Amino acid sequence: MRPEQQQKQQKPGIDVAVLVSIGRHPTTGRARRAEQDARGLELALAMEAELPGSRIDVLHAGSQDVDSEAALRSYLGMATGVGMGLESMTLLEQPEGSDAILPLVEHLAATSPQLVITGARAERGEGSGLLPYALAEHLGWPLVNSLASIETVENGVITLLQALPRGQRRRLKVRLPAIISVDEAAPAARQSAFGPARRATFLVAPTTSEADSELAQWHLSPARKRPKRLKIIKAASARDRFKAAASKAEGKGGQVLTDVTPEQGAEAIYKLLKEEGVLR
Amino acid sequence: MSEIIRRDPRREWIARNRLHPDHASVLAALGVNSEGGGAASEWLGPNGVVRKNPRAIGFIGPNGVKRIDRSGLQQGRQAAATTTAARDSRRRVTIDQPAFLVAVVPDLTGGRLSSHDKDLLGLARRVADADAEQPGAVVAILFGEHKGEGDGEHKEEALGDAGIDRVVHLDDELYAGFAPEARLAVLSAVEREMTPRFWLLPDSPLGGADLGRRLALRLGERAATGVWQVEVDNEASLGWRCTTRGAAGSLDIQRPLPRVALALAECAEPMDETRHAAKCQTLAAPIPITLSRIEDLGQVAVDPAGVALAEAEFILSGGNGVKQWDAFHHAAKVLGATEGASRVAVDDGFMARDRQVGATGTWVTARVYMAVGISGAIQHLQGIQRCDKVVAINLDPGCDMIKRADLAVIGDSTQILAALVAMVEQQRGGQRDAA
Amino acid sequence: MDGKCSAQGWVYSALAEVCRRSSPAAKDEVSTMLETLLPILIFTALALAVIGAVRRIRLWRQGRPSRVNLLQGLMALPRRYLVDLHHVVGRDKMISNTHVATAGGFVAAAVLMILVHGLGIANPLLGGLLLLASTSMFVGSLFVARRRLNPPARLSKGPWMRLPKSLMAFSIGVFLITLPTVGLLPDGLVEGSGSWLLALVLAGVVVWGLGEMFFGMTWGGPMKHAFAGALHLAFHRRAERFGGGRSTGLKALNLEDEAAPLGVEKPTDFTWNQLLGFDACVQCGRCEAVCPAFAAGQPLNPKKLIQDMVVGFAGGSDAGYAGSPYPGKPVGEHQGAPHAPILAPVVMKEGKALVDAETLWSCTTCRACVEECPMMIEHVDAIVDMRRHLTLERGKTPNKGAEVLDNLIATDNPGGFDPGSRLNWAADLNLPLMADLKQVDVLLWLGDGAFDMRNQRTLRALVKVLRAAEVDFAVLGAEERDSGDVARRLGDEATFQSLAKRNIATLAKYRFQQIVTCDPHSFHVLGNEYGDFLQEGQGGSDFNASYEVRHHSTFIAELYDAGRLTFAPWKGGSVTYHDPCYLGRYNGEYEAPRRVLKALGIQVAEMERSGLRSRCCGGGGGAPITDIPGERRIPDMRMNDVKESGAELVAVGCPQCTAMLEGVVDASAEVRDIAELVADALVERPAGDVSGVSRRTTAVTTAEEVTL
Repeated sequence: MRPEQQQKQQKPGIDVAVLVSIGRHPTTGRARRAEQDARGLELALAMEAELPGSRIDVLHAGSQDVDSEAALRSYLGMATGVGMGLESMTLLEQPEGSDAILPLVEHLAATSPQLVITGARAERGEGSGLLPYALAEHLGWPLVNSLASIETVENGVITLLQALPRGQRRRLKVRLPAIISVDEAAPAARQSAFGPARRATFLVAPTTSEADSELAQWHLSPARKRPKRLKIIKAASARDRFKAAASKAEGKGGQVLTDVTPEQGAEAIYKLLKEEGVLR
Repeated sequence: MSEIIRRDPRREWIARNRLHPDHASVLAALGVNSEGGGAASEWLGPNGVVRKNPRAIGFIGPNGVKRIDRSGLQQGRQAAATTTAARDSRRRVTIDQPAFLVAVVPDLTGGRLSSHDKDLLGLARRVADADAEQPGAVVAILFGEHKGEGDGEHKEEALGDAGIDRVVHLDDELYAGFAPEARLAVLSAVEREMTPRFWLLPDSPLGGADLGRRLALRLGERAATGVWQVEVDNEASLGWRCTTRGAAGSLDIQRPLPRVALALAECAEPMDETRHAAKCQTLAAPIPITLSRIEDLGQVAVDPAGVALAEAEFILSGGNGVKQWDAFHHAAKVLGATEGASRVAVDDGFMARDRQVGATGTWVTARVYMAVGISGAIQHLQGIQRCDKVVAINLDPGCDMIKRADLAVIGDSTQILAALVAMVEQQRGGQRDAA
Repeated sequence: MDGKCSAQGWVYSALAEVCRRSSPAAKDEVSTMLETLLPILIFTALALAVIGAVRRIRLWRQGRPSRVNLLQGLMALPRRYLVDLHHVVGRDKMISNTHVATAGGFVAAAVLMILVHGLGIANPLLGGLLLLASTSMFVGSLFVARRRLNPPARLSKGPWMRLPKSLMAFSIGVFLITLPTVGLLPDGLVEGSGSWLLALVLAGVVVWGLGEMFFGMTWGGPMKHAFAGALHLAFHRRAERFGGGRSTGLKALNLEDEAAPLGVEKPTDFTWNQLLGFDACVQCGRCEAVCPAFAAGQPLNPKKLIQDMVVGFAGGSDAGYAGSPYPGKPVGEHQGAPHAPILAPVVMKEGKALVDAETLWSCTTCRACVEECPMMIEHVDAIVDMRRHLTLERGKTPNKGAEVLDNLIATDNPGGFDPGSRLNWAADLNLPLMADLKQVDVLLWLGDGAFDMRNQRTLRALVKVLRAAEVDFAVLGAEERDSGDVARRLGDEATFQSLAKRNIATLAKYRFQQIVTCDPHSFHVLGNEYGDFLQEGQGGSDFNASYEVRHHSTFIAELYDAGRLTFAPWKGGSVTYHDPCYLGRYNGEYEAPRRVLKALGIQVAEMERSGLRSRCCGGGGGAPITDIPGERRIPDMRMNDVKESGAELVAVGCPQCTAMLEGVVDASAEVRDIAELVADALVERPAGDVSGVSRRTTAVTTAEEVTL
């Protein structure tokens, strides 16, 4: 019964590799599952309904220590009530400060999944968001960024919705194998449960790793607050410059319209909406 | 113009007679005609002498006191004239023999240079003009239609004004929509033909971030992303050093500026003192046609009501003061706004829980947040901290939402919304008729 | 089943006997027949009851092991039943007396009947006692019947409706068959052929009575409560509750043991004495009547939940349940089995698992049901056990739950605020820090209210009061974390324990006599739940002995008693006081806040439900986070209670209550924390009073007045 079922299900399912990294909480800096990577895993998990029998390989390249282990386990804590081989994750172990691209390319080339899902940017280190592109370039696979949802997977072609700014969507058809990167537009990740996370195991795969020598030469420091851009007045005369500098800042305390007809009120609002360009 | 001063006794008479119905228009006509540049407060008298009306001079100041501005800049017409003059006074720059090229690929969202694009061009100019002896040229690669800015003759000048020396414009179906592979082929061709010293792209979700990273990998460069500061550094290989944001904005990385850089908005000041040639160029070699594995099926219509609150740019939010919810929903639909609600409206079952705005609901970042009948509990105000403009419609002029609002209208929300809806529908109708 | 058949068999054989011999010597033969028949009937019923008991016990033993001292429990049983249980039952005098008469009568009658009729000890004295007992039982059953005439909605119907009749059948039957024993049998009554009919009817009545009382006791009839209830009292999981004690802290999960289940997935994951406790339910519906979620129309009914648990470990469907349903959920669609998940893992198309998740998440953990339950069943424990499974194993904490838990993990506070900004509100107050002082009298525990702008007002007021009384205090500042209350009630035991252990480690660094907090939830968790997580060397073996945790109302009352605070007379309007659940029911502190209000010169206009029976504000147990929709809102109902009391101001002592009650639209009363009222009334101590004259004597009278 069971093997048969599995065989039946194996047909439509595809192999998905989800790349995960160790995140960093924006206010406390604690290790956690990275927001975007978790959304990527969520997308993969949601495919279970669409494509039963899909297998997910969760991949992480990096070192393993107490802090990072808890963060990595929290990805597997999302695997509640789904099979998809989420009892374990593949750990491409490499020392701190190594370049993750090489081992990932090697591993993906060897296991050749049909779909690779990754977060757009890491929350630690350089966080340049170049990794998905590097993988795509090395593997020669097409890449789609800012994925919102996966619609269908048929005959090696995946139809998906790409997120555009302000909630807009674009439909794309991509030939597999492909790489998909996920940012904040993808559906939020499900809750990570303690039980499955605790039971999860790590399959450690040895890798060739190369120290990221370039990064080591750069100067890293906590982000400074960017200076707010000043309103620079380039006026023809000194008098104009003086006037601009001395004029009262705008917007302090809003405009309040009392005792106006609904039409007048509506007109004022309409003007503001037009100015802000939110009326299409 | 003839030297002879011709007089029109009737008009002079009207100009003197303040009770005459045509008095104002004649004064205005005289004002325009007079070469002296005054408004209606000055005119040519009957003997060819310039007459002044001291009462017509000046303006009422903010404290209700009449002020006279001797420079005469108060008159709207004259002020406009000065700016035009300033515009015209901008230095024209043509760089015929550039020492090097700085390639810029602006987003050109909606056919126009965005402010992010202009900042980036400002940065490109800084890099290009660093050595006044040997200036570089900024070459912009534009994809898609360019609509320009303003109207009339200014339309075409927008590119030059932003600091572009040369333009490679590709307005082909092939590059429309999501076509990273085709666009990348063009950039590769530019690289082969022109070999710019720097490639600058906006690190924006509108396309630059994606294309720039693809280009960097294609060129085998380790791009600097999230660049927000660029300084001269003679020790760096290319003579510049940059500061970039890393690790989800929590880290500043200082590194030599590589060939490919993706810069954030406000990375430099946009240009406004010079006008550049913006000369059109075409690529000599044909661009190889790549077989795309990504097919763009076009944009999908998104119902604004379905947009996640945190993402929405225009939110119409209803609270306890909304009495007619049908009218409210209708208004949201007509205005194209995403619906939000206060906790009370959700608790009372008028809105779904995922529509709740506030500390206990969703923190929103809308450009315009319109609060209808929401008094502004502290938790609610916390949730709208990051909104640009807040419009409040409320019956109670003393409530906290009014204090927060940039524009507040005191009155019956149903009527005001209805008037607003009517106004928008009328405008839309008018546009459609015209089109 | 076979028990009933054999009982009927006896009736038939008796009938056959009657048909065979119908002779003039009927009278003798009738009595002889009864004499032979009765012992057989009694012992058969007893034997069947024993079989049923064994079967029932095996059902309970499906549960996980739990350490209970069986012998000690059984020894303590009479006291627990007669004193502790009747203390709860005695809140309703009518029912209490009815139960004494009926149950007392029954127990006596049953024992005596076994002696007199079973063993044939036809002692007239025993017979007389038996008559007395059965009469008492009969009288009691009349009252039971009267209650069932027009039963309130909270009572379950179904089999419970026949209970008074069964009680009467038993008592009348026993009474009549005992009459000959004491020689009071009227002669004419059993003569003639009518005597056989009478004997037959009598036998039938006795069989009915015995069936309900003995057989039904262990086979699942209404009388099951007597058997299961007695054992439940003996093997109760919180033995501390008996003898006037209090045990309100949740039991810790052992997270070290990876094999132990994380919470309760299926009925057998409960401990055996929890299962036993469910079986003790008498379906009186007192819990239902006090449950705020039920009143708000949220899909929770504590009584139904307990009955569902019984259905779960016995197997079957809830179709047999005859009480009020979960609001909005029809009865009969849910089913369960001992090893089947209580909550459906995925949304099922046909049929439903035993309980829907939203039922569990409706609970505010206010403990009103637990305090009200005459059988001392622990509803809240069961609900949290099942929530633990949902959160820890399935990751299904609804609505904002997941976000709150993530925040607690990442930032140590539920709002996701920067932990370093915990003291920002007090930037101008120059609060002394524990890290600087190391040793103080009072550690002021701020709680997560420190991030809430409303609660910051309360905290400011409290600081003002402490300074006025010249209390030597300090705060932990950024070292403080969430107490873990919300995480634990949401079922995230792992996060709770992590917070608890880190807080304990922080507390262990400093020396102080007491912790004062204005958050009853922190108060409860610090005082009652942290004790389980102490390691050696952290405050010794008895954590609670090293310091005391106080609610600010208690502390202010003490300061006032010690003469360290002086108040201006109250000039405002009428005031009522809302008891926070975690201060009142969880910690038994009803008096101190009232004492403080009294000291302020406020005459408290009590709400109908106050003190032990106070109605929850709806803010506990993570209920505002899980936010299960109902027909009404709990705080609205509570504000209505306030309105009915006629008060213009409601004094509270909990940040949650403040937030919930202030969230009520168009409220008739203002909401103020006790600390704010005290701070407003503070006046400079008169010079002569500096000596610190104790107000202890006056305070005692105050307390008495309040309890009156």
